[in-house]
Amino acid sequence: MRTVLKTAVRSVFRQKRRSLLLAGAIAFGMLMITLMNGFTEGMLTNVRDNLSHALGGHVFVSGQEITETGRVVSRIDFDDRLQTLLETNSAEIASITRRSQTFGTVVFGSRQSAQMLYGVDFQAEERLRTSVAVTAGSLEAVMEDDQAIALPDSLAQRLGVELGETVLIRLDTVTGQRNVGEFWVRAFIEDQAELGMSAAFGHRAYVNTLLNLPSDSYQSLNLFLHDLFAADKMADQFRDVLPLRPVGEDGDDQAAAFGFGPFGQQQAPEPWDGIRFTIATINDIMEPIEAVVLVLDRLSLGVFAVLLVIIVVGITNTFRMIVLERTKEIGTMRALGMQRPTVRRIFLAEAAFLGLFGGVVGLGLALGAMTVVSRLTVAEPGLQFFLAQGRFTFQLVPQVVLLHFAILTFVCLASAYWPARSAADLPPIKALGGHL
Amino acid sequence: MSIVELRDVHKVYQLGKTQVPAVRGVSLQIDVGDFVSITGPSGSGKSTILNMIGCIDTPTQGEVYIQGQCTSGLKDRQLTVLRHRTLGFIFQSFNLIPVLNVLENIEFPLLLGKPIMDSGAKKDWLEYLVEAVGLHEHIRHRPSELSGGQRQRVAIARALVTKPHIVLADEPTANLDSKTGQSIVELMHKMNEELNTTFIFSTHDPSIVSMAHHVIPLLDGQVVSQP
Repeated sequence: MRTVLKTAVRSVFRQKRRSLLLAGAIAFGMLMITLMNGFTEGMLTNVRDNLSHALGGHVFVSGQEITETGRVVSRIDFDDRLQTLLETNSAEIASITRRSQTFGTVVFGSRQSAQMLYGVDFQAEERLRTSVAVTAGSLEAVMEDDQAIALPDSLAQRLGVELGETVLIRLDTVTGQRNVGEFWVRAFIEDQAELGMSAAFGHRAYVNTLLNLPSDSYQSLNLFLHDLFAADKMADQFRDVLPLRPVGEDGDDQAAAFGFGPFGQQQAPEPWDGIRFTIATINDIMEPIEAVVLVLDRLSLGVFAVLLVIIVVGITNTFRMIVLERTKEIGTMRALGMQRPTVRRIFLAEAAFLGLFGGVVGLGLALGAMTVVSRLTVAEPGLQFFLAQGRFTFQLVPQVVLLHFAILTFVCLASAYWPARSAADLPPIKALGGHL
Repeated sequence: MSIVELRDVHKVYQLGKTQVPAVRGVSLQIDVGDFVSITGPSGSGKSTILNMIGCIDTPTQGEVYIQGQCTSGLKDRQLTVLRHRTLGFIFQSFNLIPVLNVLENIEFPLLLGKPIMDSGAKKDWLEYLVEAVGLHEHIRHRPSELSGGQRQRVAIARALVTKPHIVLADEPTANLDSKTGQSIVELMHKMNEELNTTFIFSTHDPSIVSMAHHVIPLLDGQVVSQP
């Protein structure tokens, strides 16, 4: 085996330029697939993180009750079963947020605009305080006044409102009455208006007052988990214990849970007693995004497949040429006592070495490119949702990288197999040109 | 005792629709430790006979016996093992492996097949051969860094490294000047005497033929007279 490897490795370096070209093609393939995969995986994580922060959790629990007049009211008061579930899973829960939310109209002077408003407990929501990018004012200023509000940049620009000014928000209470609240603008924050993820943040107690809810009540309970991938399992556990609102009833439950739907009041065709819950996870909302990423992955696989075809053609032709060039050498080795399989192994080892070398170089280049790109700050607002703090991030899954290595090596071996076999099958007398 | 025997060997090459007889009914015996020269003009069948003794070609008719074993009917794997264990080859164009240095080229046949000596014995044997062919100062050189004579010395050491019973050399001096060619045949003769290895070589250089113990003259694929 030592002889095979030594001869193979040295033969690769015999024609440096040719080997470099081949290895370069392999490296390019590895570079492209690694970059694409790293990018899509990183983007997926960023989107998931950004969504989690925007929505305030990984698992979302919303509660609905039916009033005497038949209206569906979103609210959660103290519930033994929910409390027990939270205590049971406390080791897996990193933090809990309790929010109220409404879709109202923000009015400033003669201008007005529809806006999602979250009522939050700023003291309890450390994640919100650390993840929201404040462009003017401060969240501390918001926390000081019960009626203070942080408005998204896009809304502020539409309304022409400045820090320290007052806006009115027109909304419906949970029981359907019109109400108006006065808010003091204390901060502007970045948002993802392009993706419909724009939200204003006010104090929950004040928002509850406007919604006609008790000040310690809330409409959604959101859980941040230590392990994001445990979200579905935990959601299932909650679904097993809590009474659920019938699926598909009067609008999109998931959308409601995420705050996109009509949260305040809905009509229910079949009334129920007591509170009913809707449980969703970040993965539910990630599904369409993951589908897009899957398409990107497939595209990168397509590019990889095209590159593999180029590599196959390149290696097969090159090895056919190599066999022709080394015909006499093959004859010599056979005459000296080398068995056919050993001749074949030498050529296959050369191909495997080229594949591994090209793969390692490609991976190295990809890591270098990722390092450079991940240090660049991107200011484009439309891209922020895909970035982590304004930067692209790349994530490599070791198993996937190993799989790509295996595919590359296999393709190199398969491409070189027929030339290697024809080399091994050469009769010594023919390979030696008819004489010793 | 004969180590090589050819019995009524014929070899016919098919060139398109034409059959070209290269060897026509050659029978001969070569004894252990002999230093034999096969001579004759170009096209007389020297190389063809060496190829058949070397088990890299097969006769169209007749039998070739190596150490009493008939090579007809042996499979490729068996012929390869026979070549590795019993035969050594010295090529006209040296045929060294270009990516290996002198020592690695000499050692190369030892790395094929099952080990035939332990590492200590191998080391001593390689040192002896390198010394015997006078290349101890060049063991790390690649073939491209050697002269023709030096390359053929490497080839001689390589041919002997597995301690074969027979060494075959097809015009080993053809690509060398006469002085170097003379020294190469002298080296072969020396190794023949020291190791009692049978050497069979082809040549049409009369000065080299004169050094052989026995001469097999060929003409038109037939032995002209048995010495």
